[in-house]
Amino acid sequence: MKKLFALLLALMMALSCAAFAAAEDEITLDVIICQYGPNTENWFLGTGMDGTNFVAKFEAENPGIKLNLDVVSWNDVYQEVSTRIENKRFPDILNIDVFADYAAEGLLMPVSEYCPEELYKDFFPQFIEQSVMDGTVWAVPDLASARALYYNVDMLKEAGVEKAPETWAELEDACQAILDYYGGEIYPWGVDMTTDEGQAAFAYYAWGNNGGFVDEEGNWTVNSDANVESVKFSVGLVNKGFTNPNPATQTRYDLQDMFAAGKIAMMIAPNQLPTIVKNSGNEINFATADIPHNEGAGSASVGIMDRIMAFKKDGLTEEENAKRNEAIGKFLTFFYRPENYVGWVSMEDFLPAVNSAVAALVQANPSFEAWLNVLANAKFYPTAKPEWNSVKQGVINVEQNALIGGDVKALLDELQASLTK
Amino acid sequence: MNEILVRKKWVPYLWLLPSIILMSVFVVFPIMIVFKLAFSEISRAGVVGGFIGFDNFVAAFNDKAFGTVMLNTLVWVVSVVGLSTLFGFIVAMALNTEFFGRKVARSIVVFPWATSLVIQASVWNYIIKYEYGNLNNVLLNLGILKNAVNWRLTYQIEFAWECGVGIFVTIPFVTFCVLSGLQSIDAAYYEAATVDGAGFWKKLRHITLPLVRPSLTVSTVLNIIYVFNSFPIVYTITKGAPANKTDTMVTLLYMRAFYDQQKGPATAMSVIGFVILCIAAGAYMMLSMRKEDEL
Repeated sequence: MKKLFALLLALMMALSCAAFAAAEDEITLDVIICQYGPNTENWFLGTGMDGTNFVAKFEAENPGIKLNLDVVSWNDVYQEVSTRIENKRFPDILNIDVFADYAAEGLLMPVSEYCPEELYKDFFPQFIEQSVMDGTVWAVPDLASARALYYNVDMLKEAGVEKAPETWAELEDACQAILDYYGGEIYPWGVDMTTDEGQAAFAYYAWGNNGGFVDEEGNWTVNSDANVESVKFSVGLVNKGFTNPNPATQTRYDLQDMFAAGKIAMMIAPNQLPTIVKNSGNEINFATADIPHNEGAGSASVGIMDRIMAFKKDGLTEEENAKRNEAIGKFLTFFYRPENYVGWVSMEDFLPAVNSAVAALVQANPSFEAWLNVLANAKFYPTAKPEWNSVKQGVINVEQNALIGGDVKALLDELQASLTK
Repeated sequence: MNEILVRKKWVPYLWLLPSIILMSVFVVFPIMIVFKLAFSEISRAGVVGGFIGFDNFVAAFNDKAFGTVMLNTLVWVVSVVGLSTLFGFIVAMALNTEFFGRKVARSIVVFPWATSLVIQASVWNYIIKYEYGNLNNVLLNLGILKNAVNWRLTYQIEFAWECGVGIFVTIPFVTFCVLSGLQSIDAAYYEAATVDGAGFWKKLRHITLPLVRPSLTVSTVLNIIYVFNSFPIVYTITKGAPANKTDTMVTLLYMRAFYDQQKGPATAMSVIGFVILCIAAGAYMMLSMRKEDEL
């Protein structure tokens, strides 16, 4: 009896050792995903992915890799990441818009260390270029959106505006006609100069005036004459009463709701606006056109792109590091696999970042093709420059100061000086 | 055994030990970390480097918005604490009198206090909205207005609204502090004063005010701290826009830390705020206590 008992005990010990060894083999990836809309959390952690979720499906397919995945709102994600970095609790995988600060401080791994080659080739090259710093690719794009002019066809027609404005002069004429016809009941033009996305308002007008954030060599040129003129023009639209009355506090989301409610006649908005109008239940007859530009300059769409990046982890052996990189690669491969990725991108109405998803997306929604063309010609913010964040906040500050009477030239000069000192 | 415990001088400290440990872990330790960070180099990504002396403080004082924001903070604290104390006192006096439905009235006063500040600020944001705002809708429907009014025409008006919301949400706290003080006043004092021919104002000045002073001191000191550190109202209504003109110190330091990635100067600002609060609250308490001693 005693022998049998001893045998059982030995067996149990062996089993527990094996289990311990198996647990030792297991790798857990800390992942932060940004909340793009009401469906994000449900897709990753709830039941939004065919009754199950991303984490459960991934773990079932990849035994030995556990995901500790948090979906964090855009309002909190910078605070969350920054606190983790301060406490040296780096996430393994991070989904966010910016990367340059993290790369410049040596916190990120080059994409080549973990991204499988086949997947890497699938990304749109012009997207990959946006994440290059010092010749190294530091992040991969997760999705994109593009901006265009939306206009309320019926309102423009009623006010006697025959076609969507193409130039700034036509835009002012159209605004004046709408203002005259509706007597202030309808805002002709929507402008967002808030801390949420005031940099977009800067880009729409600067890029439509042959200006911009940087020159061809990548040097900051925020105080160029073209930029001064474009900020004066956009603030002038506000001062002439053509816009929503409080551009410093009315965000893009407020404007989109007002457009859907028939309160705004024209605005520059992302490709998600049709869904917002549809969900509002209002019957708005609207169409899209190129973003208006100054005479002599071309129209430029604005592309917005977010990224996925992987942080370095100290204290790992070479073998452990290779295993971790392989796990990160498996995560990316699973995420971008068409049957998963198409659901993710179309769920929140975004544009894809990989070629393999295009066919399925266009089949599901033919309007995607037009937007993909817009995206192909879009300009992107210079997010690969570490000073981008200061520039972004800086141009918003310039716009808001200009709204209360500040000297645009002096404000942009001051911003430029702070970047080149 | 009990006698020994009572006689030992260290025994009281033993009873206080759990509180001391809790305070150390959740109050003293975080404050020490903030002080350490304020003198450390912090990168844009958030990596904490070495000691850099007063550089973060110099950067904070050189921040272009710092002067405006300090003035805003002063206006914010003085107006919200001052006016909510005045109105809270009046409401408490009213609720201390006998009238039908007093219990219901007291419950209603608690509502703004019991609701989260973010929700209250969001509700006020909707109320004063130019487009489809409740205030415009009500006034238009009543025929008081012919056209909708932009209640947020300038940033000064927007800041005044923020102060107004601050006052609205702070009144209940003052009311209940003062009410507890009023209820502890013996009615005999008022009866004696009435016999001596004292009117309402004389009774208020010579009986009510001196006897509720301890309650007022508590509510004022706590309010100075709460209101100075209040974040949700300004952040929800204007986020400090335009160009930090409606920021207070707490919202500015948040924007600097998490929007502008200037974590070093932001930490220095929080230390400056802490010192200002300690001085202001300490001075007010000393002044009040001295007056109590004089009585």
